[in-house]
Amino acid sequence: MSWFKFLPLARAALSGMALLGFSSLAQAFDLQQLSEQLAKPEVIHGNFIQEKHLRALPQPLTSKGTFVLAKNHGLLWLLKTPLQQDYRITGQGIARRDANGWQMLPGKSAGAEQNRLFLAVLQGDSSGLQRDFELQLAGDAQDWKLTLTPRSLLLKQVFTQINIDGGALVQRIELLETQGDSTLLQMRDSTSSQPLSAAEQHDFAQ
Amino acid sequence: MTLPSERWLPRLFLILLVAVLALAGWQWRQGAPLSANLMELVPGTAPDALELKAEQRMQEPLNREMLVLVGHAERQQAVAMAQQLGERWQASGLFEKVQWNLQADLPALRSQLLQGRLAMLSAADRQQLIEQPAAFIQQRVQALFDPFTGFSLVPSQDDWLGLTGRIQNSQPQRGAVQLDIGSGALVADADGKSWVLLRARTTGNAFDMNLPLQVAELLRQSREQASQADVQLLAASGLLYAANGQQQATREITWVGGGATLGILLLLLLAFRRLRVLLAFVPVLVGMLFGAVACVALFGHMHVMTLVLGSSLIGVAVDYPLHYLSKSWSLKPWHSWPALRLTLPGLSLSLATSCIGYLALAWTPFPALTQIAVFSAAGLLGAYLSAVCLLPALLKGADLRPAQWPLRVAQCLLQLRAALLRRVPSPVLLALLAVFCAAGLWQLSSKNDIRQWVGAPPQLLNEAQAIARITGYQPTSQFFLVRAADQQQLLERQHALGERLGQLVKQGKLQGYLALNQLVNLPSDQQQLREALTRLPQFWQPLLDLGVPASALQAELGRLQALPVQDIDAALKGPLAEPYRTLWLGAGPEGVAAMVSLQGLNDAGLLRAQAQDLPGVQLVDRLGELNKVFAATQVSAAELKLASCVLIVLLLILPFGLGGALRIVALPLLAALCSLASLGWLGQPLTLFSLFGLLLVTAISVDYAILMREQVGGAAVSLLGTLLAALTTWLSFGLLAISSTPAVSNFGLSVSLGLAFSFMLAPWAGKQPHPASVAEPSPC
Repeated sequence: MSWFKFLPLARAALSGMALLGFSSLAQAFDLQQLSEQLAKPEVIHGNFIQEKHLRALPQPLTSKGTFVLAKNHGLLWLLKTPLQQDYRITGQGIARRDANGWQMLPGKSAGAEQNRLFLAVLQGDSSGLQRDFELQLAGDAQDWKLTLTPRSLLLKQVFTQINIDGGALVQRIELLETQGDSTLLQMRDSTSSQPLSAAEQHDFAQ
Repeated sequence: MTLPSERWLPRLFLILLVAVLALAGWQWRQGAPLSANLMELVPGTAPDALELKAEQRMQEPLNREMLVLVGHAERQQAVAMAQQLGERWQASGLFEKVQWNLQADLPALRSQLLQGRLAMLSAADRQQLIEQPAAFIQQRVQALFDPFTGFSLVPSQDDWLGLTGRIQNSQPQRGAVQLDIGSGALVADADGKSWVLLRARTTGNAFDMNLPLQVAELLRQSREQASQADVQLLAASGLLYAANGQQQATREITWVGGGATLGILLLLLLAFRRLRVLLAFVPVLVGMLFGAVACVALFGHMHVMTLVLGSSLIGVAVDYPLHYLSKSWSLKPWHSWPALRLTLPGLSLSLATSCIGYLALAWTPFPALTQIAVFSAAGLLGAYLSAVCLLPALLKGADLRPAQWPLRVAQCLLQLRAALLRRVPSPVLLALLAVFCAAGLWQLSSKNDIRQWVGAPPQLLNEAQAIARITGYQPTSQFFLVRAADQQQLLERQHALGERLGQLVKQGKLQGYLALNQLVNLPSDQQQLREALTRLPQFWQPLLDLGVPASALQAELGRLQALPVQDIDAALKGPLAEPYRTLWLGAGPEGVAAMVSLQGLNDAGLLRAQAQDLPGVQLVDRLGELNKVFAATQVSAAELKLASCVLIVLLLILPFGLGGALRIVALPLLAALCSLASLGWLGQPLTLFSLFGLLLVTAISVDYAILMREQVGGAAVSLLGTLLAALTTWLSFGLLAISSTPAVSNFGLSVSLGLAFSFMLAPWAGKQPHPASVAEPSPC
């Protein structure tokens, strides 16, 4: 019974997906329009603040860094403080950088499932999400809120809800765990005007 | 014409027949007492109860579980079909459990992980915590910030040190099956399709007579339903093999039994030209009845394989009436009772020699052959009794006017033989035969494999292989049995074995293994970990820096130190322990024992080497052992054959004298040798079953030599009688050669060959001066 090993993947996929959502969500009222809108930008650069709210801690665990989302490549997630760590999510899976370069995380490279969800979002495919989540969209193109509620019993035991807020781009992703902990991701200063740098292209290519 | 005894014998026999019929009715009161369990047929080799228990434990899922892959290019379609089929199967009432998705009991999982933080932590993690506590803490801090891997089933505040997450990640991952988080289905991707795993566990096992057929039928309907939605099903289960075996046995009983019956009836009609002569089939029916009743009385049930092989008894049983029916060519007019009186000594001798031959099979270590021997011996006795007591009364007053052409054929054959002998004398022929035999034996090779017992159709095998490839589950039939005085020693021994198996896994020679020591640590290791925890506060400053309250960490440390040492029984309770539960054999009078199961390696030699110098570790390789027993039995079968010949010689000394007896027995032996040589010439391997066939043919063909030597009614009539007997016997045994079970077909082939040679050699039996010899009719 090693199914539970996939839960972190699911989580990873969901958070990644939510992030990607901000490349692939942009207009209002209609999921289709939102998907098309968010699928437009080729590359998005930005800063993030991640707050992990653990029930037992008075203060959240806060970390900061930058990210690069490239439509045809994937996501670079570069954690700067309080510790430094680079992550990369692509169609092949999740990788972490160490002294020897990018290392695919074991057991996850073969994970077709999270990649499927992931790519569903990459391609602005909301039908892929609708299978596993109830999607609720409110607001307009400039200020919208997407709520994902898990359909399956299994997911319900892990997440109660995922909230994604945005305007032109995704601004805020909130993950509410069934156990009472939650994670808040805030994207700041996002811009879609800058192409991939040589270093970033190199990172995706490896 | 009729003696007084010949008046009451039929009545006595009818009383016996009614009694046996009543017994049969009582035996069948709850349906057919048939069994299809293949393992009942092969010798029991497990020397002790524990090994037997272990084997049963490993085999149980094979006989009760069915694994199906539901495949479609669209994952969602495959999942939907798996769900539909799962519901249909559940409703069928055939299964005790049908599972297509995981109903995860997360609270139970969390509690097991928390309870097992000391007992289940992997060796590498344990080592790091003990030897590099600073690095251990550093990794924990990192994990708390990691947005992608920081998730654990247990919330952080219940496990600040992150031990449960490490345990989660170190669980052995088996196969290529992934969880589809949306549906909870288990899915493997291969060949451009998504394959959803559907598992079902039946209420009974593969050896209930009806269940396998019902399961196979349900699968057939499911395949139809799936194919309408363009979904492909792959299935594997011992039940499907059982169903196939049963259908095949039924088919073959019909063909062999039906074919032999039709052929023999046709032969009787052609030769004797009277419908009434078909009554000669009565002994056959009585023989079958006696055989079945004796078999059920002794063994409690009858195996389908006994029925298949036993159906060949038809041809032997009909020989008894043929003995005196064939006398109608020389006895004119023919009357049933006098004809019987003339042939009774030969009939009785024939019964005795055949029974000796069949019962010799009973002394082999094969329960299958014991059953066949009992079935056949009892059947022959029944056939003999009805041929001697009942049939003459039924045929009384019958006016037999046999066709003359068979006799002319026999006479021509005899003339041919005489002509041949005039040119080439017997010693020269014998020398030529010796050369034929020597050259044939030179080319003979021996082959023994349990798989000869199973005529598995390629489709079942292909699907099983496809499932193994797609899921990556390739369970082997071999496993290790580890015994020890107590649990600590058991886990130590498993650890030692595990290190060697780990090497094989690294070398790619073994796919994986499952052992209890992967689930639970040694009691001493748990203790060591507990002691190491006391030093941890010196290193946990980075956690305090994050804002984790010192009091919370202290409280957690206290809880960890209070965790009791987990033993195997406790460790097996939670949901994570599911795959391990079958491995634990528990405590017995001689200590404790557990199994180590293997994936993806069948090289028994390599596996056996792993157990070397490891006390208490033993490789259990049932198939390998069986194959060895097969080979060993070949030798004992040859010995049995010789012993039965000695017995037959002793029996025949009385009527024929030592010289005659030796001659009569030498001919079947020579025939057997010729058959062996023919197998060599034909490129067929010598198997245990061909040897058993020859063992049997020796006993049957002694009969032909006796017939020829007695020459009741002259040489031509005797040869004709022999020819008829050989033909009928061949009709039933020869048909076995068409069986799709290699073992049965091999048996049929060797008996056919043996019969042909026995017939050809029979005229060399010599001539016995006979008091009641009748003048020979004129030659053709």
